[in-house]
Amino acid sequence: MKTILFAIGNNARQDDGLGWAFGEALERGGLFDGEVHYRYQLEVEDSELVSNAGRVIFVDAFKGELPNGFQWDKVEPTADFEFTTHALSPQAVLFFCEQLYAKRPEAHCLLIGGEAWELGEGLTHNSTNNLLLAMEFLKEKLGIAGNKVPQPIDIEQVTAR
Amino acid sequence: MNKVVIEPVTRVEGHGKVTIHLDDEGRVKDSFFHIVEFRGFERFIQGRPYWEVPVLVQRLCGICPVSHHIAAAKAIDQLSGLDPVDLSPAATKIRRLLHYAQVFQSHALHFFYLASPDLLFGVDAPVEKRNVVAVALENKELAKKGILMRKFGQEVIRVIAGKRIHGIAAVPGGVHKHLSIEDRDYFLSGKDLPNVDTMIEWMMEVMAFIKDYHGKNAPWLDSFASYPSGHLGLVNANDGSLELYDGRLRAIDADGNRTLNDIRDVDYLQYFAEGVEPWTFLKFPYLRHLGRENGWSRVGPLARLNVCDSIGTPLAQAEFEIYKNYTGGKPNNHTMHFHWARLIEMLHCAEVMQALLHDPDILSDDILRRGERRPEGIGIVEAPRGTLIHHYQADEKGMITRCNLIVSTTHNNEPMNRAVRWVANNVLSGQPKLTDTLLNQVEIAIRAYDPCLSCATHAIGQMPLQAVLYDAAGNVLDERLKNGN
Repeated sequence: MKTILFAIGNNARQDDGLGWAFGEALERGGLFDGEVHYRYQLEVEDSELVSNAGRVIFVDAFKGELPNGFQWDKVEPTADFEFTTHALSPQAVLFFCEQLYAKRPEAHCLLIGGEAWELGEGLTHNSTNNLLLAMEFLKEKLGIAGNKVPQPIDIEQVTAR
Repeated sequence: MNKVVIEPVTRVEGHGKVTIHLDDEGRVKDSFFHIVEFRGFERFIQGRPYWEVPVLVQRLCGICPVSHHIAAAKAIDQLSGLDPVDLSPAATKIRRLLHYAQVFQSHALHFFYLASPDLLFGVDAPVEKRNVVAVALENKELAKKGILMRKFGQEVIRVIAGKRIHGIAAVPGGVHKHLSIEDRDYFLSGKDLPNVDTMIEWMMEVMAFIKDYHGKNAPWLDSFASYPSGHLGLVNANDGSLELYDGRLRAIDADGNRTLNDIRDVDYLQYFAEGVEPWTFLKFPYLRHLGRENGWSRVGPLARLNVCDSIGTPLAQAEFEIYKNYTGGKPNNHTMHFHWARLIEMLHCAEVMQALLHDPDILSDDILRRGERRPEGIGIVEAPRGTLIHHYQADEKGMITRCNLIVSTTHNNEPMNRAVRWVANNVLSGQPKLTDTLLNQVEIAIRAYDPCLSCATHAIGQMPLQAVLYDAAGNVLDERLKNGN
């Protein structure tokens, strides 16, 4: 079953880069056998990409407190459209996928708590910790955790400050 | 005096505000299309090294960054001592492939995502239906092809520039890498993506659709927001054919008389001036010798097909002849024909991409040239929405000292104002109350030109759509609020 992970955010806006940092760290680990796609925002054409996957994971920063520093939610197709179709929600992408391609992959959102959103590269210390917790969780979910799995996080790359 | 405010305009990326001033009898007295944001790129680019410019200025836009990247690169080539003819064939062809892919994907976005609801559902459709969601639900095959056509263009951009948005391809004097055989075959084989031949095949289907649509809706399409105007665009320096990457600037008046006769792009400043108005940040370019009142021109697909003599690819040329015959060979001044012209350009882009993908030069590693530094560079391309001018000066250390940008939306500032005025005069005037249908027609007129105001100005976040009717004393008589936060 092909897994697609969408790393969503803006790495020029501090913790809004959590999604991208997560995707990069996962890829550096070398054991994730799915595809990672980096997005500032989800678009209509992502529904075509999603239609080729059995499982989809949307990883994005979350503005606010989360009990464990991250949150894992199942996502269902929903006609969840905002004022503009310039940026779509994961639910809306799945909705397009179901309507246009008659496909309904298993889908989850992994939200990671952040706290700083100004112009600037790098993550805050707390959000980096949240990212590490979320990474351990996902590795276990995907069955790529274990002693033989090297720690995928490069702290110098996922800059804590 | 009463005043109608529509703010912002939906499915026009970026910020826009329309005010329509009514008199006490409810008749339109005047109208304005305002650009109320300030972009500032011309200032903050100053002091940066010239070689950074193509990377920095593409941030002007998230829809057509490649156009800014290429226009800036052409200017920076000159700062590096190189004119377009000095670049290697490989570099020129790779840049051209990138640019035509950009126009292809941007036109797909404009037509399928933004404009098609206007055509498919009409101006009377309920507001919840006038969007790409409804198109996707009711016209699945059209939507799927639209998505894949946009994806094809974006994939060409990704392969050449590294990313679909804000990648890097052009460097001073050339490009930073050539295509590999695997890259090329990705677009030719059809194994992982519908190939370029399929793009052409689908475009022919879309051409059949638009001609059929015009046949059935001619009275509306021929009259809505139509008015005589000048037209401006690049043409091929050798034969006057449609040109998007590098050529001569040509302008004609509403009757087809030449008002700008194939000038070199680097001489543009001798012929153009820019007017300002207190109610908008967007300037009003015009031809100096015709003056502010008469020297403005439309740009974009409609204008380009008016100024060019032919199209250099066979299928698009055949469609061009049908299109030109519709107006008896005269300039086409019908605003809603922008979409027809846009689709002919898409077909042309697909044919150009097909030819370039079969050209062995795109695999060559002869991609860079060197020259002697110059103090000034001017790059002009035809962006999806029209003529795009980048002009830079740099000091002896290579730091940018002056920057002037005239983007497509700026050229179309006066034309869009005229289109809004047409709607105000012909549709809104005398109506007792604001309706979605009426307001949407203002947007349809603007949308025919340009769904993207962001590169001309600035846009952040999501905005409400508000329409307000004021009386002469500034009291709210009627208010309409569309979706938004």
